[in-house]
Amino acid sequence: MSTYTDVTKGGGQSRRSDAAEARIALAKRFAGCMFLAFVLALMIGTQEGTQDDFGYAFRKSVFAPRIGIFALIGVAVFLAVTFWPRIVPYLSRAGVRPLAAGALTVVVSFTLLNWTDSTDLNNGKFGGLRPAAAQTGGIDPVARLFFGSAFSLTPWLLLLIVVALVAAAIRFEDSSTLGYVGGGLAIVFGIWAQYAQSAVRSFLDYPDHSTGAGVALLGFVTIGVSGIVVARSHGKADSGGFFQRVYDWRPGMPLVALGAVVGLVGLFSAAWFSPTDRNAGIGLTSTMFHGTGLSGFSAAYLAWLAYVLFFATLILAGAASYLRHHLLGWVAAGLGVVSLLVTLYVMHDFSGLAAQSKFDGATGAWDNLGTGGWMLCGALTVLAGAGYLVARHEQVEVPDAAPGVSSDAALAAGSKLGPALLVVIIASALFFPPTATQFWQTVLVTEIGIYVLLAIGLNVVVGWAGLLDLGFIAFYAIGSYTTAYLTGRLPVKPPSFLELTPLAAIPFAIVICLVAGVLLGAPTLRLRGDYLAIVTLGFGEIIRVVANNSTPVTNGSRGAFNIPPPEIHIGPLDIKWGDNVLGYWYLLLVFVVIVVLLFNRLEHSRLGRAWAAIREDEVAAQATGINTVRVKLLAFAIGASTSGVAGVYFASQIGSFTPENFILNNSILVVAYVVFGGMGSLPGAMAGAAVLTWLPEFLRDQVPAEDRQMWIGAVILLMMIFRPAGLIPARRRRAELGGLDKKDSSETTAVPAGEGM
Amino acid sequence: MHEFLNYVVLGLTRGSMYALIALGYTLVYGVLQLINFAHSEVFMSGAFGSYLVVNAVTHDGAHPAWYGVIGILVLGLGSGAAVGAAVAYGLERVAYRPLRRRGAPKLAFLISAIGASFFLSQLAGKLFNRLNNNDFPTYFNVNHHVVAVAGVTVSLVQAIIIVSALVMMLFLDTMVNRTKLGSSIRAVAEDAPTAALMGIDIDKTIARTFIIGGALAGAAGFLFGTAYFFSNTMGFIPGVKAFAAAVLGGIGNIRGAMLGGMLLGLIEVLLPTFPWWHATGLIGIQWTDVVAFLILVLILVLRPTGLLGEKLGRAA
Amino acid sequence: MSTPASTGEVVYDVRNVTLRFGGVVSLNDVNLQMFRGEILAVIGPNGAGKTSLFNSLTGVYTPQEGTIMLAARAGDVPVSAIGKKTHVINHLGVARTFQNIRLFPALTALENVKVGVETRMKSGPIASMLGLPRQRREERESTERAFELLRSVGLAARANELASSLAYGEQRRLEIARALGTDPGVILLDEPAAGTNPAEKRELAALIQQINAERGVSVLLIEHDMKLVMSVAHRLVVLNFGQKIAEGSPEQIQKDPAVVAAYLGTTTEEASELVGTASVTKIDTDLDLTEGDV
Repeated sequence: MSTYTDVTKGGGQSRRSDAAEARIALAKRFAGCMFLAFVLALMIGTQEGTQDDFGYAFRKSVFAPRIGIFALIGVAVFLAVTFWPRIVPYLSRAGVRPLAAGALTVVVSFTLLNWTDSTDLNNGKFGGLRPAAAQTGGIDPVARLFFGSAFSLTPWLLLLIVVALVAAAIRFEDSSTLGYVGGGLAIVFGIWAQYAQSAVRSFLDYPDHSTGAGVALLGFVTIGVSGIVVARSHGKADSGGFFQRVYDWRPGMPLVALGAVVGLVGLFSAAWFSPTDRNAGIGLTSTMFHGTGLSGFSAAYLAWLAYVLFFATLILAGAASYLRHHLLGWVAAGLGVVSLLVTLYVMHDFSGLAAQSKFDGATGAWDNLGTGGWMLCGALTVLAGAGYLVARHEQVEVPDAAPGVSSDAALAAGSKLGPALLVVIIASALFFPPTATQFWQTVLVTEIGIYVLLAIGLNVVVGWAGLLDLGFIAFYAIGSYTTAYLTGRLPVKPPSFLELTPLAAIPFAIVICLVAGVLLGAPTLRLRGDYLAIVTLGFGEIIRVVANNSTPVTNGSRGAFNIPPPEIHIGPLDIKWGDNVLGYWYLLLVFVVIVVLLFNRLEHSRLGRAWAAIREDEVAAQATGINTVRVKLLAFAIGASTSGVAGVYFASQIGSFTPENFILNNSILVVAYVVFGGMGSLPGAMAGAAVLTWLPEFLRDQVPAEDRQMWIGAVILLMMIFRPAGLIPARRRRAELGGLDKKDSSETTAVPAGEGM
Repeated sequence: MHEFLNYVVLGLTRGSMYALIALGYTLVYGVLQLINFAHSEVFMSGAFGSYLVVNAVTHDGAHPAWYGVIGILVLGLGSGAAVGAAVAYGLERVAYRPLRRRGAPKLAFLISAIGASFFLSQLAGKLFNRLNNNDFPTYFNVNHHVVAVAGVTVSLVQAIIIVSALVMMLFLDTMVNRTKLGSSIRAVAEDAPTAALMGIDIDKTIARTFIIGGALAGAAGFLFGTAYFFSNTMGFIPGVKAFAAAVLGGIGNIRGAMLGGMLLGLIEVLLPTFPWWHATGLIGIQWTDVVAFLILVLILVLRPTGLLGEKLGRAA
Repeated sequence: MSTPASTGEVVYDVRNVTLRFGGVVSLNDVNLQMFRGEILAVIGPNGAGKTSLFNSLTGVYTPQEGTIMLAARAGDVPVSAIGKKTHVINHLGVARTFQNIRLFPALTALENVKVGVETRMKSGPIASMLGLPRQRREERESTERAFELLRSVGLAARANELASSLAYGEQRRLEIARALGTDPGVILLDEPAAGTNPAEKRELAALIQQINAERGVSVLLIEHDMKLVMSVAHRLVVLNFGQKIAEGSPEQIQKDPAVVAAYLGTTTEEASELVGTASVTKIDTDLDLTEGDV
């Protein structure tokens, strides 16, 4: 096992024939794939060993007949990897990637997602709903047909048909008819799925937030787009190029199409009003409120104005996009916003009235609303956004006077789809949460949103300044305890003039976290990477342990409780957050938006560049005149204060917390979120946190609760293996990849780069 | 006085465990300059692996003669080391090598290791159990005192742990400093590209480094299991402590890891025994963590590269 | 270019500087004056202590003995450079480049220069977050100035390329532009021609002279390429084993037996015979050969 034998062995290997080498590589790969299958079998097995029999779960997983399935999976992976170079050319052909993505989405919607929230059907997934819906007599026959006639195979058959059609269109390059037929059928099937679900929903008459049919529609539409792409491109361009062409052709069009679909579903298919046991569409809602004293305006809205406003906006936005008309774009944007406000007003009006006039089950303004109104709001936002983009697009077109003066403009050129995506994200952030179930709203507010905020803060420290901080949660704890102190919920009371409402505690939390960040940073920042990591880790633990043990000050392990919810009393503004989860969501949204706007500026400022400089090469940065200690301290302090704000929010939203909320594991998780999403990339860090906090809650439905962390670990691991730069890599970070070791081996090239779709 | 010495023995016992785990951190850090965050799960696998083997050979309640104890000890250490080495090697192949090939940023390795760590500890929980107090067969816990002089007692388990840890560390130190494998490890640690030019297979050397570190951690898992308990989440706390110990001694430095581990164990055990400690009124075992960390921070601020500096294999 | 453009004012006054690492003496009792406006080259075989000298001058190393007084810009009062942090010395008007290029690879060429320019600016994080007028003005100024610098080193067309994607010679010039961005009185160039081809070397020589003449920046140059050194330097200092063994104009140095001995590894007596017989060009090529040791 010495160096010397290594060398001779190496020499021996090179004397082997290439064929033998290839065989050995293949054998190794095969062994690897079978090992993978074996691990998968262990992961999916549901049994656990006991103290008396440690091998039980292992034997059950490995020696049960089902191991054959996993062996097959292993073989399939082996074949896919081996023949990957031959698959690649197909993948880049027009329509293939959307087809695959669409088919996958549909499969997911059939298997993993809920199609109903009804408690009558204890399994809300497609499989649970299908037999019930197929046998129920009172349901619309068209809907019943979807859920299964002959062998309950209809939905799968539908999927198979369209996939086969589109695939055939791709195979026979000249066949644009096949493409159109397949694509058109796919869209029809998508609408059918949506219709079938809404028929079941109205039959069950139960408030419903399930997303199954919506996702199925999305998948089918993607397949449809794939078919149309195939038909139009005649095998020449790839679909990415095709989309780029569409976008270059009419920048607002994708948004207009999206707005049309969402709006139509919202107006014609979804429920607008659903107190306890009914799902009333907009028409039914209109009749329900006949003669209840609803204001004339709202009545008119429900009766006809909604349609007029929506279609007017849609047509205007479409025309503006098509004609690339600047002024029309502004008009569409304006009308969209006005319609949006009107819609919101009406929704508030009738839901408030329902509660006042004691409708059965109506609880208050903004309550009991179905998804329809919110979908229409989302659609109007998207359409307004489309109009706005069209209006702005013309202005951007003006040739840049000083070439390259704005380096950021050049960067933005790479991602033209950015603004459109932003519009969609804004629309869904505003109007998706109200349509979600109580469970998901709570998750959004207590997990996803908070960790997004924390990830944004840590991204400054880890992503931009390149300092590994494993004790970030400590600042979050400091923010929370500051709030508890200032609202008088700790054993130590603040002086009376300092007793504040939670929101007023924010500046204090920021200042205290700034100071804490500087206090921690000042002595330790000259430590290099990994030393800094362990010191920050220690700091995090110290804060937690101190909080846990200083009972006279912090109430020890019992933590703080009864922290009042946030409230605002400034002049005419008088808001008090209470039990409604949604209110907290919008508050959080305000925080996130402010922080993102500020930090986005910061990234492209002098300080942002200085951070990048010290991260890339500290010695050179010093020689260039950067005071590295100061710059690092700023990163620490700014990151810490963001975390402090998150702490204030957390404390006042959750009302009570204990030191257990601030364990080391959470610090590590936040680092994982940032890196998973893409270090140094603001959208990346947010996406990473959102995905990884959403995943465990999503898995709650899919795998045994105790196994969730295992799956998350696997997801993180896979992500890092196949896409080490993260979900949305930072532009500045992307350059660093491909450094170090560029040695290309067959193994690495055999693996997809994780790009695309 | 004898009380103090008893505490020293306790501290050394705990410290040997930290040192054994810390060696794995330090070895990997030496060659790759990265924290193998999943190392604590290698430690955990060693405990489960050795339990399965030892339990298959013996049964609970037996009181073996001295040769039996040695036999079980060798078997346990050997199987723990084998399982630890296998898991560490798998870790290198799955969680590190692909990233190295892609030239991933350093933090990606850390996160990949965190993912692997979650995965391994939860998979173990799924396959075995999620109780946090599994015990090895009782004969290992016999508090037979091998040394009892003037009130100073060293129990069998303590003696086994301290002696076998010392033997393994001596072995490792000799190997790294005297053998050709050791010199290739040091060469890669020093300058990987040049080492590659000299005909050293970098991938192999890295894999072997993982195997050695994994074997030590696996053996430590067996020792930990016999002394305390074992569970699927047992790795986390000792892992963090051992990492701190490695940093304390100067990460990448083998003797530093040993020194750091022993020191940390001693600090943790001895701190609460000092009279002034009680005078401060800070009773409660958690405070030792705080003070231990504060000492760590203090040492690092004074000596930013740890007690013995960073060079792998360099004689202190 | 052999007439020194110097004014007689001292920029760097190095007296009796000794730098040790453990038992190794890296600089041994070095005395050196650098005058304002001159191009001073430091040459010597590998390991002679050239880069150690640079690092002592820029605060990376702290010499155990001796004094270094610095008055980088015209009109400055001399201050000690010993014990000051690197970035402080940079703010005093000393910029440098590195032997093995140290750019910020993930930033664009423009951003690299902007980092240098912006170390002289004031706006802080709050101004940046809020986009205050002064910050906007500074941002615009820094972009314009960075562009001007890129143009002067011939990289304006590649402003938006990542530094890591530039060619080797371009990276060298970008490093100079970044150094100039900090508005220095003295620029220290550590082997700027290493690894460049003859055409690039000629461009580089012109660039150095241009920096010196047009911007009035004093240049301290470490270089192995004797042709380059002889063509641009006003004065040379020769180091060997951490000691200064010669100082003077290019012509004087070329004829100095001690220098030739240092390079050829012979005794001074043998070397003086060599100087007596061989032509200057012969020595030139011999000196050039040492480059192969790099």
